[in-house]
Amino acid sequence: MKPMLSTELNTPEVAVDKAKIEVKNLNFYYGQSKALKDISLSLPERSVTAFIGPSGCGKSTLLRVFNRIYELYPKQSADGQVLLDGQNILDRSQDLNLLRTKIGMVFQKPTPFPMSIYENIAFGVRLYEKISKSEMDGRVEQALKRAALWTEVKDKLNASGLSLSGGQQQRLCIARTVAVKPEVILLDEPASALDPLSTAKIEELIDELQADYTIVIVTHNMQQAARVSRQTAFMYLGELVEFDKTEKIFTSPREKRTQDYITGRFG
Amino acid sequence: MSAVQEALPAIKGSRDAIVRRFALTDTIFHAATRAAAILVLVLLGGVAISLFAGSWQALSTFGFSFLTTESWNPVTEKFGALAPIYGTIITSAIAILIAVPLGIGIAIFLTELCPRALRRPIGMAVELLAGIPSIIYGIWGLFVLAPFLQTTVQPFIIWLFHGVPGLNNLFAGPPYGIGLLTSAMILAIMILPFITSITKDVFDTVPSVLKESAYGIGCTTWEVTRRVVIPYTRIGIMGGVMLALGRALGETMAVTFVIGNAHRISTSLFAPATTISATIANEFTEAVGDLYTSSLVALGLILFVITFLILAIARYMLMRIDARTGA
Repeated sequence: MKPMLSTELNTPEVAVDKAKIEVKNLNFYYGQSKALKDISLSLPERSVTAFIGPSGCGKSTLLRVFNRIYELYPKQSADGQVLLDGQNILDRSQDLNLLRTKIGMVFQKPTPFPMSIYENIAFGVRLYEKISKSEMDGRVEQALKRAALWTEVKDKLNASGLSLSGGQQQRLCIARTVAVKPEVILLDEPASALDPLSTAKIEELIDELQADYTIVIVTHNMQQAARVSRQTAFMYLGELVEFDKTEKIFTSPREKRTQDYITGRFG
Repeated sequence: MSAVQEALPAIKGSRDAIVRRFALTDTIFHAATRAAAILVLVLLGGVAISLFAGSWQALSTFGFSFLTTESWNPVTEKFGALAPIYGTIITSAIAILIAVPLGIGIAIFLTELCPRALRRPIGMAVELLAGIPSIIYGIWGLFVLAPFLQTTVQPFIIWLFHGVPGLNNLFAGPPYGIGLLTSAMILAIMILPFITSITKDVFDTVPSVLKESAYGIGCTTWEVTRRVVIPYTRIGIMGGVMLALGRALGETMAVTFVIGNAHRISTSLFAPATTISATIANEFTEAVGDLYTSSLVALGLILFVITFLILAIARYMLMRIDARTGA
């Protein structure tokens, strides 16, 4: 059987302290077409993992399996196992809303909610916690500080979230995600719509956040992957080609396809 | 690259010839389309002017009190528009109160909850409601809905609220079947498709990634709809409601059938009343005397102004949501 072989092939030479997310033989379908083929990998806790690969390789799809956001669309389905702390989140009995409070997600385009900056953060917290106004103020401040946005917005917390610049909006989205205290943060090309300065800020932020969170980032930008991640997965045509320490992937990849991609020969 | 550059002057030369050849027809076409567009403005202006001219006699006779007088007496030729204005506004307002929650509910169901297979049939059924001629709503209201309300719903409500301060006046008998509330219910059914389809369309303008991020922090479908989708589309929904309101205000045939045509202002929603359009439709043929006719035209002018304002507000609101989603 193939699974054995591919598991063997994909086993990272990373000294994994503790796997936060373990993916086992995951297949994903858009209707009839298979978008992920027998993916197995494990993501270490409190560490940044990057998914790279050309457009359409399935890296975003894989990310979207982790919080089961794909289930909003009836034609998409997954089989296999995704273990979060040993619990299979693809299980029918998994409560989706609870899962999504544990696994936060930030999207390619900033998506502030149509409400004030303060409410953008308080909204998510209020869904699952009953806390007093002063505690909430503290949570909002803490989250905004965490996202390096506090000094820029502290005087206009009641302004609309939509009034911020693109980079600020994206940091607001990160603050919003951090505020609900997730365990894992999924970043789907979080900086691809931003200018270089904002990108640098986001990358700094990712670097700081990994002390407390398990972070998975999908990126088109290989330099970005090299800068922010500890391990990198290279995907191609729905397959996991190689998964290893980032420096290994970028300096001495085992697979020819990986090497071709990172040296810019295709993709 | 160079081949393309060489080819350009040649293409441009032949293009110039074509443009010259069509210059005359272009001019004619331009003028014809512009005339067609201007015609609309001329018609609109013409309607406004003739309404104003036709109502001049009534307005100059009664002055401002035309708007504030309830009596409508063809014998003594004392006319006041208050009762029809009241009936028009109350029936439309109640229709909106009924149709807005229903319409938004249907739109939420269709965009967020409905199984894909049911989406089209239900959506089409709602749109078909808009295609039913108003005369059919009228006869259905008169022969089916009104007797039903008269024999079952109205006696029950009158009994239920009897002695309850406020509500006993609002739902006072006798149950005629026809009246303000029945008209409002018919109007609500008639404007439901407008509200539903516009709301559905503006719900579809919500970026899926925005909804995903709301689901992504653990929101339920209700929370996403209530806190993200509706606030995001608020202006568009308001625009749709205003368009529906404009329709309700002007609806004539169905309302004339079921309103009872009584020039009276009553606190009871079960009482017969009248609306501007129903009054005009009913009385134009029997209007003897210039002042009577002029008063009816003045009613028309009032309706014109009210609907014009409502539609202007609606357009403005829809424009604002277009500008925002375009940006």
